[in-house]
Amino acid sequence: MKLQFWGVRGYVPTPGAEYLRYGGNTCCTLVCGANGELVVLDTGTGFCQLGDTLMQREFRQGRGELTLLITHTYWDHILGLPFPGLVHTPGNRLQIHGPDSTLGSLEMTYDGMLSPVYSPVYGLAHIGATHSFQPISTEPFTVGGLTVRALPLSRRKHSPIWAYRVEENGRAVVYITDVRYTDDQIWKQALGFASGASVLIHSAPYTRSEHVQDYGHSRVEDALDLAVEANVGRLFLYHHAPTRTDDQLDALVARYRASLASDRRPLELHAACEGDLITV
Amino acid sequence: MHARIWGTRGSYPVARSDVLRYGGNTTCVEVRVGDRCIVLDAGTGMRPLGAVLAAEAAPPLNIDLLITHTHWDHIIGFPFFDPIYNPQASLEIYGLRRTQSSLRTTIANALSDPLLPVSLDDLRAELRFHEIQEGLCFELGPVRVSTARANHPYRALAYRLETDEAALVFIPDTGPFHTVLFGDERIEWAGEPTASTHDDLRELAEMHARIVDLARGADWLLYDAQFTDEQYARFPHWGHSTASQARAIAEEAGVGELLLFHHDPHRSDDELDQIVAAQQAVARPALQVSAANEGRVLGKQKDER
Repeated sequence: MKLQFWGVRGYVPTPGAEYLRYGGNTCCTLVCGANGELVVLDTGTGFCQLGDTLMQREFRQGRGELTLLITHTYWDHILGLPFPGLVHTPGNRLQIHGPDSTLGSLEMTYDGMLSPVYSPVYGLAHIGATHSFQPISTEPFTVGGLTVRALPLSRRKHSPIWAYRVEENGRAVVYITDVRYTDDQIWKQALGFASGASVLIHSAPYTRSEHVQDYGHSRVEDALDLAVEANVGRLFLYHHAPTRTDDQLDALVARYRASLASDRRPLELHAACEGDLITV
Repeated sequence: MHARIWGTRGSYPVARSDVLRYGGNTTCVEVRVGDRCIVLDAGTGMRPLGAVLAAEAAPPLNIDLLITHTHWDHIIGFPFFDPIYNPQASLEIYGLRRTQSSLRTTIANALSDPLLPVSLDDLRAELRFHEIQEGLCFELGPVRVSTARANHPYRALAYRLETDEAALVFIPDTGPFHTVLFGDERIEWAGEPTASTHDDLRELAEMHARIVDLARGADWLLYDAQFTDEQYARFPHWGHSTASQARAIAEEAGVGELLLFHHDPHRSDDELDQIVAAQQAVARPALQVSAANEGRVLGKQKDER
């Protein structure tokens, strides 16, 4: 199994020279199975560039198949969907898994996002690729040789935010974003879900010492603690704050690597970086 | 009057290394006339604009936001604009009147669950919404604002901002005025030009004349030039123009400088350089042609920024 980051930024895309190395696109991560399975975690603006790359393959002829796993429907996790050519190429197939909300189904949310007041697409009916929506549940399912597990971790007013675990041959990638560890139960659930994962991708826009308005996010320290306690191999900090420049991210990673080393905590720590290809 | 360009890109923001000079943020332009602060469109360029405004010695507290239309690339920066969280600030927000949905509801729905957790009622700044009809003229302090309809899916506005010293015209999204007439309905496109009706052609001709009138004699015209000729031939139903179509409007209106705008997400800086050079080579001598770049300042600047 391999994974590649296409968008690592949280909240809003950040074009510009000072964000270039880690990348300014919002959340999108590709998981590739050994047999060519393609699973996409969230479709922020990183999905636009991923889509361009996929159009150089079977997707150009309308013979591509993608499974999309959506954690929740805030802009930074979905807005990239309608732009890539593959989405408008008949014959391509998109299976979209994600949460319904109390305000409407996942399909209704996407349809609303593409309504003419917001988008020249004029609604889902005009997406040329074959697409189907599956409300997510905790029931595991397979995509080729990959097993996907999902867990509603953090509760928002109208829908939970889901975490995903993708497994192949006993190795696992766990993807947790926009989580708020408000009580022990959520922490224990996350611990169980991430247990023994080879790779944990975890949103960590701010550190505990940064005083920012709480948009419902765990801190860098939470991600580290979870990764160490769950015996994770590698942790990738994700959903970087829009104000975090490349140099600041370098410094942040160096600081936390040093503290991990001095505490003798065994964990390989990285900040997720657009374009990086990781063998799991 | 002076203006600063904060976002030039169309469709979606681009965070690549080959767009650093012209910029990857979506459309946003700041116009300052004395104490007046007017913002054109709320694309991702609005986030860095907000940070800079908040850091000014005397931050402007009354801000006018003129929205051409509410496609995502024109509103995505709004919730990340610092002044909306300042209890001392107020925003006057102008946009097209529609029968289907109020401007306030359109913005409120974009910002709230399940798309974002922001409620307009929770914002600290005071927001007032003003729905305007195409063709309306009004004044914002010393600035005379005129509007016209642009030829874009679900309709969009074009704005002219004018003082006694200068005029800036902002038309980030419009198709040309010869084939496809855009209204509220989706245009079906099967690869062949649809035969426009006589009424459509007459309406297009009128829209063309009003757009030229709006741009007449402006110092700066920021105009949709998203497409290459080849793209236009394939996607005339997306409602965007080419650089040569933009130049034709600029020449007809006798503007001082045409700034190609709403750059295609795939267009690199080098490609834009070539597009500009090609237009400069054929433009009338009186017309300057450039491509809008992030950070460009137009006109005189009184403050030190």
